[in-house]
Amino acid sequence: MDILFSPQLLAAALITGVLYALISLGLNLIYGTMRLLNVAHGDLVMIGSYIAFMAFSLFNVGPLISMFGAAIICGGLGWLAYRSVFQNLLSNSEILARLEENSLLLFFGISVVVQNLVILFFTADRQGYEYLSAIVEIGDVRLTGARLAVLIVGSVVSIAAVLYLRFSLFGLAINALIQNRDASAIVGINVDRVQMFSLVIGFGITGLAGALISVLEPITPVMGFPYTMSAFVVIILGGLGNLWGGFLAGLLLGFLEIYGVAVTGPEWRSVLVYGIFIGILIFRPQGLLGRGRVAR
Amino acid sequence: MSQALLQVTDLSAAYGQVFALRDFSCRVEEGNITALVGSNGAGKTTFLRSLSGLLPPRQGRVDFDGGDITHQPSDQRVEAGLVMVPEGRLIFPTFTVEQNLKIGAISKRARDDLAEGLERSYALFPKLEQRRHQPGGTLSGGEQQMLAVARGLMARPRLLMLDEPTLGLAPLIAEAIFEMMVQLKETGLTLLIVEQDVNRTLQIADYAYVLENGAGVMAGEAQDILADPKVRESYLGI
Repeated sequence: MDILFSPQLLAAALITGVLYALISLGLNLIYGTMRLLNVAHGDLVMIGSYIAFMAFSLFNVGPLISMFGAAIICGGLGWLAYRSVFQNLLSNSEILARLEENSLLLFFGISVVVQNLVILFFTADRQGYEYLSAIVEIGDVRLTGARLAVLIVGSVVSIAAVLYLRFSLFGLAINALIQNRDASAIVGINVDRVQMFSLVIGFGITGLAGALISVLEPITPVMGFPYTMSAFVVIILGGLGNLWGGFLAGLLLGFLEIYGVAVTGPEWRSVLVYGIFIGILIFRPQGLLGRGRVAR
Repeated sequence: MSQALLQVTDLSAAYGQVFALRDFSCRVEEGNITALVGSNGAGKTTFLRSLSGLLPPRQGRVDFDGGDITHQPSDQRVEAGLVMVPEGRLIFPTFTVEQNLKIGAISKRARDDLAEGLERSYALFPKLEQRRHQPGGTLSGGEQQMLAVARGLMARPRLLMLDEPTLGLAPLIAEAIFEMMVQLKETGLTLLIVEQDVNRTLQIADYAYVLENGAGVMAGEAQDILADPKVRESYLGI
């Protein structure tokens, strides 16, 4: 069991945890402010990965640059989705009441369409590229430069996002909208604007995470699905709509997964993740740190 | 007649097919306390929800400070100084008292005034200062009502609309809220109050409207309404 105490494994858990934290923060923002169940969320990871892959193979631009492009493009998709579909749906109180259930189907359809479009353009084959593959040694830890870069960038972006959401006035407005929509409107929050930015930021940081992930694993049209599931596990673990709780839960799930797989084996990964999911639903449906589902 | 601060003309509002307010007109003069009374289900809360932009009206027109705001979203109404303290308070339970107050000053006209606004709130409600770092959800009912009023004042309102501000409060605390409303009027603020305590409300109000089944049935000086035999029989049980 020596492996459990290796700094190597700790680094791996941190990388996975930070990425989960980042991706689920995006999902949580979207669910919290609009009650949209974005089951296509992992596909944004996939899109971000393909953007980074194309930037590298076509223009020789590395993911540390192209991640900004991925964030901007995915954020733009969020803007487009809001303006074309959700702005209207959310402003109609009768549709709003049923939007949560319907959004599940809507996003499921979007997910299928997006995956098939990507297969059409890029084939279903695995893609990948070599980037900062030299080994870096820090004390006892040996990891590739790419993994180190992912760890650093992922940590900086996720911590910055969480701090911004916790301490800025705009972050306070987002948190207010997560708690109560009517109350937010009457105190003077521009609900429409907060919703739009939540979708843009939520899509954008997920696309950025996707660009980072492109250096860690093979890029395929269906790579997003496990991230969708993990992100849902994370936000349920942290309490739906609880941004800070979700961030900690992302780190926690990264650790549970990496250490769990180290003890059992990679074929147990799905069993672990879904097992945690079901376990929470049975024993602590309000989430580990959750205050329960906030009232609408 | 002079230009009223708020002028409502033939306003109708509905939930689905059910009209809760029909062709209701009223005006609120600057510097006054205007009261809206009526039994449960008379349409009082519906009226305030329409005025705050939460429920788009079906018909009619609302003018505030000379401008048509009938179809404006809530945040622009707050920006113009039309601010509501809602029924059930709707404070943010996980926010601290201070965060609740800060979010009250999110409109552009109030944002620069935030520090001063906090000071004013704490001077008006010293209890809130003692509890400034406590989550809003842990306050007592009376304290939550104070917080909701203070949050409304943070927006620097020109007209503050209070929906059932004393509902569910102990008599002593309810009386403190009534006294606070008189105090607010003395500072020059205009108030529109919807209240179930008809007697006490009409005592502090200047002008009053009576709503029945979604329609206005009586309007006049609050003193006259209070003295009206029909009102005394229907709402005061005298």
